[in-house]
Amino acid sequence: MRSRLSQYVGFAPAAVLFGVFFLAPLALIVAYSFWEVINYNVVHHWTLDNYRYFFSTPTYVTTLWDTIWVAAVATFLTLLAAFPLAYWLARYVRPSVRRLLLLLIILPFWTSYLLRVTSWTTILGEKGVLNRFLEAIGVIHQPLSFLLYNRPAVILVLVYLYFPFAALTLYATLERFDWMQLRAAMDLGAPPRTAMTRVLLPQIRPGITTAVIFVFIPVLGEYLTPQLVGGTRGVMIGNLIVNFFQGAEYTRGAAVSLLIAALIVIMLILFRKQLDVAEAYGR
Amino acid sequence: MKASLTRREAVRAGALGVAGLYVAGCGSSSSSSSATSSSSSQGASTSPVTLNWETWNDHYLPAQLAAVQKQTGIEARPSLESDDSDGYLKVKQTGGQYDIVSTDALWAPKYFHDGLTEAFDMSSIPVSSQLYSVAKQVPFWTVSGGYLVYPNGWSSVNIYYNPKFVNPAPTSWEVLTEPKYAGKVVAENQPTDLMAMAGLATGAKQPYQMSTSEISRAQQFLKSAKPAFLKLVSQNSDSVRALADGSAWMALENLGTDYRVKAAGGPVVKIAVPKEGVVGWIDGEQLVKASSHKNRFDQFVNAMEQAPWVAQNFIANGRPLFNEKAYKILVNQGQQERADLLYYNQPEKALEMTLKGPSGNVQAYIDAFNQVFGA
Repeated sequence: MRSRLSQYVGFAPAAVLFGVFFLAPLALIVAYSFWEVINYNVVHHWTLDNYRYFFSTPTYVTTLWDTIWVAAVATFLTLLAAFPLAYWLARYVRPSVRRLLLLLIILPFWTSYLLRVTSWTTILGEKGVLNRFLEAIGVIHQPLSFLLYNRPAVILVLVYLYFPFAALTLYATLERFDWMQLRAAMDLGAPPRTAMTRVLLPQIRPGITTAVIFVFIPVLGEYLTPQLVGGTRGVMIGNLIVNFFQGAEYTRGAAVSLLIAALIVIMLILFRKQLDVAEAYGR
Repeated sequence: MKASLTRREAVRAGALGVAGLYVAGCGSSSSSSSATSSSSSQGASTSPVTLNWETWNDHYLPAQLAAVQKQTGIEARPSLESDDSDGYLKVKQTGGQYDIVSTDALWAPKYFHDGLTEAFDMSSIPVSSQLYSVAKQVPFWTVSGGYLVYPNGWSSVNIYYNPKFVNPAPTSWEVLTEPKYAGKVVAENQPTDLMAMAGLATGAKQPYQMSTSEISRAQQFLKSAKPAFLKLVSQNSDSVRALADGSAWMALENLGTDYRVKAAGGPVVKIAVPKEGVVGWIDGEQLVKASSHKNRFDQFVNAMEQAPWVAQNFIANGRPLFNEKAYKILVNQGQQERADLLYYNQPEKALEMTLKGPSGNVQAYIDAFNQVFGA
């Protein structure tokens, strides 16, 4: 018994941190979501009004669906861009060059998130780099105003921000794949595409699922990127939650935040079935 | 010497390290609090003390704080509030952690009635003689026990427009509903104030205390104006940048934005005052009731609000202030044209605006705003 307990001593600090800085605030948010605010005071009157209000107001439901759609599209495009790079890195690049390329992938993390998002306004803006270049080569005579402050701009920047997460996750999975299996499949008559879909993809499915989780879930809660590059046409649910908290509407904000969290939990449960942990760790 | 630690030794070392950090932290905070408590008990006018000041960054200059500390022993520690409700909630939730809090107009009575601030005797602050008299007679800042706010400055939120693209000059908030300006307007993301502006546009009697039907009309106006908005920004510098780079042709901003656009290398922009009226603010400093250093408030304000500093503040931040003597300094420095263009010498205009204050039903305002600007 004593030796069994002593195994968990090392976990104690993490458990305390987790409990104090995650579980306790989460419990508070849950409680807040069932209370109400009257004249800037949180009143401990249990009610479902915050949730009723959310589902009865079309704007919020629409914004939530649009947020899920943006997250799905951004995730798809991120994986579409990351997979070829990870494949090429894992299969064809020499180890010495590979290390340098991996470093370049994570290099953006050495700058702040805010700076990385703001930099896109200098690229896509009417007086930005892209417009100036297109004007200089004569493709356009007036700057293009549709490049920024809309939903496509939000998706583009999200793909840029989360590309390293997807690329590294896919690379880690592809690196452990036995490429001889692909050759064997083609030797047995499978065309390259069939070898990819019947041999490669099923085995790297946990990695793909992990990459989806690493991209989709944080994108769902994004608010700074739509705030900076989305304008009034790229609003996501996070922006509406921020407005609640700015106006001291803590209980409404807590309810909507909890709905997002619940959505994430449901998705994790669904994804969990797709994610074989043993395979992911190569056991 | 051992080459490696056992797990028990590592955990013990970690625990000792954490305990040591905690004791060090407690030691430094207790030594600073004992210094402040001893100085306040002495009541000496230059004894060192720290005042925590919830404010905005245009209420002070770094050099000013250093000079005031040297002169009075008071170290002001500014903590920035994003807006009035942010400042209000911080003081409400933290009690005596703040000593002074800046606020706008009609928020001051709310602070006072909720027991968060105290009135003070304006005549006990000698520098108040430099103020315009109208600033010392604001009716909703006057209570039986004294005055609620030491006045700082004011501004209206107007339409700044680029005359190259906006023709004719706007005369009404209805300009925001014109299709030709779609995607060419920026404003600060302040839901309550934008709703109040929409209330002005739709004839609400008290834009910050609108009835349900008035909120509904204001919401409809904002909905029809939504296509005009390129983006809702978090601060004035973003609006300035949008006007300067031409991505926006109009901005709903504070006085002085035209100068800031010019300083940013942008085009000439002009000010338009809609016929329905404008929302604006007058702000100043309040004494927090739970402060442990209330006896130093007068001294601090007296040192901070001297005319030369206020004049420098105007040059740095470019909006009108309530210090009349500072205006005369600006005139002597050749800044009269700029000061007059910003209505510095017309402080009575400040009370003609629809002044910022807490909304009567903030939930309804936020809900209406979100329903307009949601997807």
